Amino acid sequence: MTFFTDAVQFLPALLGGLRVSLALTGLSLLFGLPLATLLSFGTRSANKPVRWVSIAFVEVGRGAPALVMLQFMYFGLPTAGLTLSALASATLALTWTTAAYCAEYLRGGLSAVPRGEVEGSMALGMTRWDTLRYIVIPQGWRIALPSLMGFAVILFQMTSLAYTVAVPELMSQAYTNATMSFKYMTLFVLAGSIYASISIPATWLSVLVEKRLARHL
Amino acid sequence: MIELPEERFPGRDAKVTVRHLAKSFGDNVVLEDIDMTVLEGTVTAMIGPSGAGKSTVLRCLNLLERPDSGTIDISGHRIDAESRFTNRQLYALRREAGMVFQHFNLFPHMSVMRNVTLPQQRILGRSKAEAEQKSHELLTRMGLGDKGSQYPNRCSGGQQQRIAIARALALEPTVMLFDEPTSSLDPEVGVEVLEVMHELANEGMTMIVVTHEMGFARTVSDDLVVMADGRIIEQGEPKRIMEDPSHPRTQDFLRAVLQR
Amino acid sequence: MLQAVLSGIPLTLGVTFVALVIGTAVSMPLLAGTLSKHRIPWLISRGVIDLLRGVPIVVWLFIFYYGVTIGPTKLSPFGAAVLGLGLVSGAYLAEIFRGAVSSVAAGQYEAGRALGFTNVDLWRAVIAPQAWRVAIPGYTTYGIGLLKDSSIASTIGVAEMVFASGNYARTSGEGITVFMVAAAVYILVSVPVGLLSRMADERLSRTVAQ
Repeated sequence: MTFFTDAVQFLPALLGGLRVSLALTGLSLLFGLPLATLLSFGTRSANKPVRWVSIAFVEVGRGAPALVMLQFMYFGLPTAGLTLSALASATLALTWTTAAYCAEYLRGGLSAVPRGEVEGSMALGMTRWDTLRYIVIPQGWRIALPSLMGFAVILFQMTSLAYTVAVPELMSQAYTNATMSFKYMTLFVLAGSIYASISIPATWLSVLVEKRLARHL
Repeated sequence: MIELPEERFPGRDAKVTVRHLAKSFGDNVVLEDIDMTVLEGTVTAMIGPSGAGKSTVLRCLNLLERPDSGTIDISGHRIDAESRFTNRQLYALRREAGMVFQHFNLFPHMSVMRNVTLPQQRILGRSKAEAEQKSHELLTRMGLGDKGSQYPNRCSGGQQQRIAIARALALEPTVMLFDEPTSSLDPEVGVEVLEVMHELANEGMTMIVVTHEMGFARTVSDDLVVMADGRIIEQGEPKRIMEDPSHPRTQDFLRAVLQR
Repeated sequence: MLQAVLSGIPLTLGVTFVALVIGTAVSMPLLAGTLSKHRIPWLISRGVIDLLRGVPIVVWLFIFYYGVTIGPTKLSPFGAAVLGLGLVSGAYLAEIFRGAVSSVAAGQYEAGRALGFTNVDLWRAVIAPQAWRVAIPGYTTYGIGLLKDSSIASTIGVAEMVFASGNYARTSGEGITVFMVAAAVYILVSVPVGLLSRMADERLSRTVAQ
């Protein structure tokens, strides 16, 4: 029974950490998704400098592990004279990662819109911009939505790495309490259960959304 | 043998005029010096073996495919493939020609009503109410008055194709282009679509129809164009060509199709 | 400095490789379970897959490193890392393989059965080879993802590339370049794959653009 009494004791601290984890997830999506939208067009732009800068940004964001991004922003930037708070540097790092991954999902969604529908719109005499706005973008987003939701779950899990840069999120709370109480197993199992209780239903939801959307497409 | 429609129907105005149209994909010559005139209020059927270039002609007419050279004139909107033209000219030309595709190409994320209504709003600047009234009218005419709130993929193929026809007609084009409109439909469903097309023809719509429906080509069309290898090899009165084809390729093609 | 970063490469590769082997092995029973028509194995596999994927990797590593004791000894950092990464990989790979198997057309099963194949032969000769071809891109992509995830092993003291970079940054105070070099090594591995998929995609999008 000690697990449960311990759990009750540690839960408030962990839930406080969870709020930080969710905030970090939310901030990264808030900044990352608009950036991803721009990049999804940037990587297909006819303008060469725009295209190559966008591709470089995306490839770095996807190629470098989130952990390296976090360490770079928190430990690296100060040596170049730029010191950010723990939360700010973690947000910056995960925003970059989010923008890079989501740009690719959006690009995939946009290019999966069937060519016939674009032609249908063009043949009616719709302008290129109207075709993008009414046909390509709404459907591209729809096609990409399940992947974007799936990524949001991964991002939520990635925030656990922010404990390495002193963000007081869920994992950090678990680790601190564990080293103080020596109840490693209890705290990590508890933290894992909290992560799972959010990630698993969220994943189911994204599968459900995928199935529902598939009916219209 | 080529009998031009201008000679067979003197006194009718040309609605579509194509001169010296040519198109290649890489080394592959798809169209070679196509001249074609479609007169107001007539139906032109285009037949020929697959790969002959029939669909490409149609797709060049509204610039879905950019020709390498040649001129296209639809109701006075003229585009020369080799010189620059503005987007405004392009959209103006496309507005004159309504197009119906083999695979319907409806917008799957919009209701049937919105499929027909949105283009009117965006292209003709109609108000939503005005556009919806027009859509309802057309859908009812197509026998689909109750389908407005459905999504396209809940409708049968024949229904989808009639919705696509309504969508094109809503923009009040002066010419209708049909690109194998019944090829992806079961024969008994294709009939519904052919009936709608027949009605349109009776109302005096100028139409170009790429088709494998020999019955339709024979009974409804006024002018028959036979293509092979990117050229027009025979043109004239449909019954005459079907009963007495002069070009050996036409003879082969008709024998093959009619024997089935 | 470069030497400091590169000194971590053997362990980065080692963790990745061993975890991938464990993951591939673990994925097989999970795959069998999710394809099963019986409810119990199906439920168990689904539950295990969801649980493995639902908990962040770093939490698994901490559980195995700090929490698991076998008699008086606990797992080494390397052991805990490959076990944690391997199990999580098993869950993701099972899903990749399941997708590939279900992409093989139903007609293939029917044709195989009509020819008189036994179930085992049907799998070995007809289904598995086709599914494998479909699964290769996903498997490769996952492998590269795993290479990046192996950096998480640094949190429990495996002296792989990120661990080595962090050490160097702390002792030399030269943080910015060392992490850039580390990032560059990971990117060098993943960029060719990313560019390949972009090229494959461009052929499609070019036709859509006009």
